[in-house]
Amino acid sequence: MTVLTGRGLEKTYKLESQTVHALRGVDVDVAAGDYVAIVGPSGCGKSTLLQLLGGIDTPSAGRIELLGTRLDTLDDRALTRLRLTKLGFVFQRFHLLPVLNATENVELPMAEAGVAPAERRRRALELLEYVGLRARARHRATQLSGGEMQRVAIARALANRPAVILADEPTGELDAATGREILNLFRRLNGEGTTLVVVTHDDRLAGEAGRVIRMLDGRIEG
Amino acid sequence: MEFRWGVRNLRRHPFRTALSIAGIAVASAMLLDMVMLRGGLEASFADLLLVRGYQIRVTPKGTLPLDSEATLPDATGLVATIRSDPGVAGVAPLVATSIYGRRVAGGDSLVTLFGYGIDPRDQGLYQLLRGADLAADDSAGVLLSEASATALGAAIGDTVTLLGVLDPQMAAPAMERRLVVRGVVQWLYDYREQPSVGTVVPLMQRLARTEREDRVSVLLVKAKSDADVEPVVERLRTRLGGAEVNGVADLVRHFQDRMVYFRQLATILGSVSLLVTVLLIGTLLTITVNERLGEIATLRAIGVSRASIVKEVLVEGTALTVVGCALGVALGLVTARYLDEILTSFPGLPATFSFFVPRTPNVVTAILVTLLTGALAGLYPAWLAARAPIAPTLRAEAT
Repeated sequence: MTVLTGRGLEKTYKLESQTVHALRGVDVDVAAGDYVAIVGPSGCGKSTLLQLLGGIDTPSAGRIELLGTRLDTLDDRALTRLRLTKLGFVFQRFHLLPVLNATENVELPMAEAGVAPAERRRRALELLEYVGLRARARHRATQLSGGEMQRVAIARALANRPAVILADEPTGELDAATGREILNLFRRLNGEGTTLVVVTHDDRLAGEAGRVIRMLDGRIEG
Repeated sequence: MEFRWGVRNLRRHPFRTALSIAGIAVASAMLLDMVMLRGGLEASFADLLLVRGYQIRVTPKGTLPLDSEATLPDATGLVATIRSDPGVAGVAPLVATSIYGRRVAGGDSLVTLFGYGIDPRDQGLYQLLRGADLAADDSAGVLLSEASATALGAAIGDTVTLLGVLDPQMAAPAMERRLVVRGVVQWLYDYREQPSVGTVVPLMQRLARTEREDRVSVLLVKAKSDADVEPVVERLRTRLGGAEVNGVADLVRHFQDRMVYFRQLATILGSVSLLVTVLLIGTLLTITVNERLGEIATLRAIGVSRASIVKEVLVEGTALTVVGCALGVALGLVTARYLDEILTSFPGLPATFSFFVPRTPNVVTAILVTLLTGALAGLYPAWLAARAPIAPTLRAEAT
């Protein structure tokens, strides 16, 4: 079953006086349970593609469907709700809220989705247990290491049971050993049926993926 | 969640937050003081006029009470006429004049005194502090204020010498009387340290050389009920064509006309304090939001709605305002008391008068206006946060 589809995706934007063609007609299909790695040199358009697939940017041309819903037909409120409930995001720099502790960071998307406090607390602790951070549940984000922050970010991405997890360079800020932990976590998640789309420079991470999309100059190479 | 997040965000930069709160506290203290000043002057004036329950003043035509040296003739006749009105419960005649006193310890120099002639049975001018009141026909007794007791060196039971107004031909007082100090009173309309003395009306008239025409300065009239005041005023205006008849409301209106510059000052300074509050909160939150645009874009990316972002920024603004406002109320009350001390020490103002009256509606108004202003001041930064473009902000964060 296809979860996420992109057809004829193009993205151009102005950078000072120049027009940058970040994507030049990209087609992508992601099926349920897929583990897709998008690789390529810096500036090839892989992060842009991920942002378009995640509905946080709009294509200059082409269309994207998530679970049969065309994203270009949604207004901001509906698109935000879709991102909240159907997608999970993991960023290179973790982007946890430093003023909240690990549990509260994981609870945040559930609170936004209207999950009752007791239920979201229970699920947040369950997810922290899953990523191996139950003992760090009450620590502020600033009190965690890089690897721990990324695991909390993964737990946050899983909070509303999304259809797809989109990860942008999830090991980019981590050392080799810590990156391996994230790699293992992704392998475990995919093994349990989670659909993953990962943008990476990390060959080990790409090697774990079931399918690798190689990009160059805004196009898919293979 | 927005509440927890918003409040904790303020702790990220404690010094900056503390400075902002201090600024808001000062601005809201100023606003509170100005609100108290704006309404307090009139309220205090009305309270002062009504303190003994006399709601009407009868004065010479074209004057206000103790506004000039003009007097009303035939006081006995006027009092009888007013008392005959069915809505009147009492009339208190008052003679006010400058006289002189001789110190108990002796010496040649005279003390200038403010003399009141009162009817002890029906008076709206003083409160007894110690000793005894005058009897209705006590032409051998005198009441002193604390200031006149000090100036004359007199205590209760002492005999003091009062001298009437000077005869311009003789350059000597027209009359000299030795009187026994019966009590010490607080004259309600005295300015601070005003050396005032009081005797029965006929005696003060003799000291003021107005006894032949039976003149008084003011007649204070007490209506049987507040509902009677307006009808009594109207009837007395008709019956006492040669006199000015004003209810407290009329006097407050006259007072408002005279004090209009105070009200304008209060309005301007109050508005400035609100503007300062808006600028402080708006600036702080705009800086904070700009610093956190990446964080906000991330939250938008993971599905946090614009409404939640707006709520969070408004929570920060409101939290700043609440804390600043609470401190501001305390600061405002303290500064109001201090400023009141300074302003009421101006000559010619009754010491019991207040410029800053901390009435609950004033305090509540100042708090509500400050809170509303604080919330509104957060709107622009909240809008800025909610409209932050997600993808470009994340791209900028990544580089």
